Amino acid sequence: MKRTLLALTGLITAAALFACGSTATTTTASFDSAMTINVYTRDTTSGTRAGFMAGIGFAEAETDDSVLVDGFIIKDNTGILSAMSIDEYGIGYISLSSVNDTIKALYYEGVAPTEANVINDTYALKRPFMWMTRAAGDYPSADVEAIVNAFVAFLGTSDAGDIIANAGAIALPSSTTWDAIKSQHDVCLEDNSGVTVRFGGSDSIQKVAQALTAAFMPKCGNFVAEHDHTGSGDAYKRTNDPAIKDTSVGKDLAFASRYFKTTETVPEIQRGQLAWDAIVAIVHLNNPLSDVTAADLKAIYDGTYAKWSDLDANE
Amino acid sequence: MTDRTLLSKMKDTAGGRRSDRIAKTVFLSAALLSASFVFLIAGIVLIRGALPFLTDNDGLGSVDLLRFLTADVWLVGATFASNLYGVGYLILSTLFIAFLSLSVSFPIGVLTALFIAKVAPKPLAKVLRTVVETLASIPSIVFGLFGAGVILKLVYDFSMSIGYQSKGGNSILATALVLALMTIPTITSISEVAIRSVDKALEHGSLALGASKTQTHFKVVLAAAKSGIFTSAILGIGRALGEATAVSLVAGGRRSGVSFDLLDTTATLTTMMLEGLKETTGLDYDIRFSVGLVLLVVILITNLTLNAIKRKVGSVHVKA
Repeated sequence: MKRTLLALTGLITAAALFACGSTATTTTASFDSAMTINVYTRDTTSGTRAGFMAGIGFAEAETDDSVLVDGFIIKDNTGILSAMSIDEYGIGYISLSSVNDTIKALYYEGVAPTEANVINDTYALKRPFMWMTRAAGDYPSADVEAIVNAFVAFLGTSDAGDIIANAGAIALPSSTTWDAIKSQHDVCLEDNSGVTVRFGGSDSIQKVAQALTAAFMPKCGNFVAEHDHTGSGDAYKRTNDPAIKDTSVGKDLAFASRYFKTTETVPEIQRGQLAWDAIVAIVHLNNPLSDVTAADLKAIYDGTYAKWSDLDANE
Repeated sequence: MTDRTLLSKMKDTAGGRRSDRIAKTVFLSAALLSASFVFLIAGIVLIRGALPFLTDNDGLGSVDLLRFLTADVWLVGATFASNLYGVGYLILSTLFIAFLSLSVSFPIGVLTALFIAKVAPKPLAKVLRTVVETLASIPSIVFGLFGAGVILKLVYDFSMSIGYQSKGGNSILATALVLALMTIPTITSISEVAIRSVDKALEHGSLALGASKTQTHFKVVLAAAKSGIFTSAILGIGRALGEATAVSLVAGGRRSGVSFDLLDTTATLTTMMLEGLKETTGLDYDIRFSVGLVLLVVILITNLTLNAIKRKVGSVHVKA
C-alpha cells in the first residue's frame, strides 16, 4: 500500500515536471481577440486609481470595487507592470514614470504617453498637482508667511523639480535654481526651528509634498513641517474657508490633485500648479491595440467590453 | 600554602555564586521582557481589533461582528464611506490554501527527510541538510519575487495550454505552490530530526525479521517518528497561514466570494491586511487590526485542533 503511494507520488511529480517543461514554450505571438480581457487595478486606497478612474470618467470606481467588472485583479504599481509582461490578455494602468519596454504603453485619445506631451498638455490622462496658500496677512505669524512664500518660490525651481520627479510625478519645466533666488528670502537665513508650518490637502500628493518639505527644511532654517493630508476638497476649506481656516485643522499651505473649482476661487497669487501626475494604460507587447479612448477604458473597467474583440467591433 | 589555595578556591566559588545570582537576574529580566512583548502585542491587537465593533468609527457606525465574520464580500460600498466589511470568505480561502499547500509540501518534505536521514550517503546527506537549512532561511519576499516572476508565468502558460484563460497566473494554484516551497524546508528539517531519533533497535528488529529496507523505512521508521512528523506539519501550516508578503504577490486580490477553482484569483486574511496598508486611514486602517485578530484566532484554533489530533495519533517508540 505504502509503496504504491510512493510510486504514485513519484509519478505525479514527474507528470507535473513534464507538464511545466513542455508548456513553458507554448506561448505564441498570435493574439486571440476572442479572449476575455483581464482587468488589473490598484486597490481603493491608491491615488493612481483615483486619478485614473476620474480621468476616464468612471469616478464612482475610485473607492468602490463593486462597480468594477467581475473578476478584476488587484495589484500594486510594480505588480501591474510585471503582470503585463506575462498576461497577454491583461490591461492595467501605472504611473508614467514607471513605464518601460517590457510592456506596451497605450496612446490615449491619439496622443503618445510621453513626458513632453504631458507638459505641453496634449496627453489627457493626467491630473494637475495644485497648491493653495492662505491670504496675505492671514497667517499665524509673519515668519510662517515668509516661509510659505519661500516654499512657493522653491516649488518653481529645478531643485524642487528633481524631488518631484523622484517621487514619481512630472515637474513643470524650470530653469531657476534655489541658489539663484534664495537671497530674496531672508527668512531662510534665520533659525526657524521654533516655527511650525502646517501642510495639508490631497493625500495623493502627500508623498511628493513630504519629499519637498523634507528637502526644503534644511534650506530654510530648519522650520518644522506638519503634514496632515485629508483630501483635495480640504485644500481650499482649510486655508481660505472663513468657517474652517481658523479652527485647529487650519492649514498654511495645502495641495489638491485637481484644478480648483469655481467655488474655490482665491487671488492668483495664492494658488498655482507644481506638477502633473500622468497615468498610462498598459497592455502586453503582443496586444495589437495601440490607442485607447476614455470611453474604451471605461467600458473595459465597468465590464461593458468583456472580450478584446468587443473593442475592435466598436472602433 | 595549601590553606591559601583552598581559601582562594572558596572565594572563587563564592564569587561564582554571586555571578550566578547576577546571571540569573539578567536571564529572568530577559525572559520577562520577551514574554511581556507577547502580551503587549496580543493586547494591542485585541484592543485595536475590537474598536471597529465598539465605536461608531467617525460617523460610519460600528461594524456588525456577526456580519463581519460571515460576509462573502470584503467591502460593500465605497472605501472610507462604508462599514460593511466582511472576512467570512477570507477565512475559508485562507484555510483552503494552507491545507492545499500542505498537501504538496508534506509528502515532498517528509520523503526528503527520510532520504536525508536514512537513504543518502553521509556526504550527500550533509550537503542536502545545508541546502534545506539555507532554503528555510530565505526571506519570504524572495519567495514572493520568485513566485511573481516564475510561478505566475508557469501557471499562466500551463492554464493556456489546457485551454483555460487564467488571470495572468494569479491564482490559488500559484499561491499554494509558493507556500509549499516555503514550508518544505520547515517540514523537512523537523521531520528529519524526528526520523533520526527513532531507536536503532527498532530498525534492526525489523530488518532481522526479514523486512526489506524500504519496508522498514515506511512501516517502522516513519510510524515511530509520526509524532515529530506531525509537529512539522503543524509548524508548516502555521507558516502558511501567517504568510503575507509572498502570497500578496501571486494571489490576485480577490474581493468577494470563495472560489475553489485552482486557476481563479484568491485572497487570504494576511493579503487583505497588507493591501493598501500604507495609504489607508480611518476605519479602513483600523479594520485591519480586526482581520489580524481573526487570523490569530484562526491560527489558534487550527493549532489546537492539530495538536489534539496529534495526541490521538500518539507518540510511540520515539526516544526522548
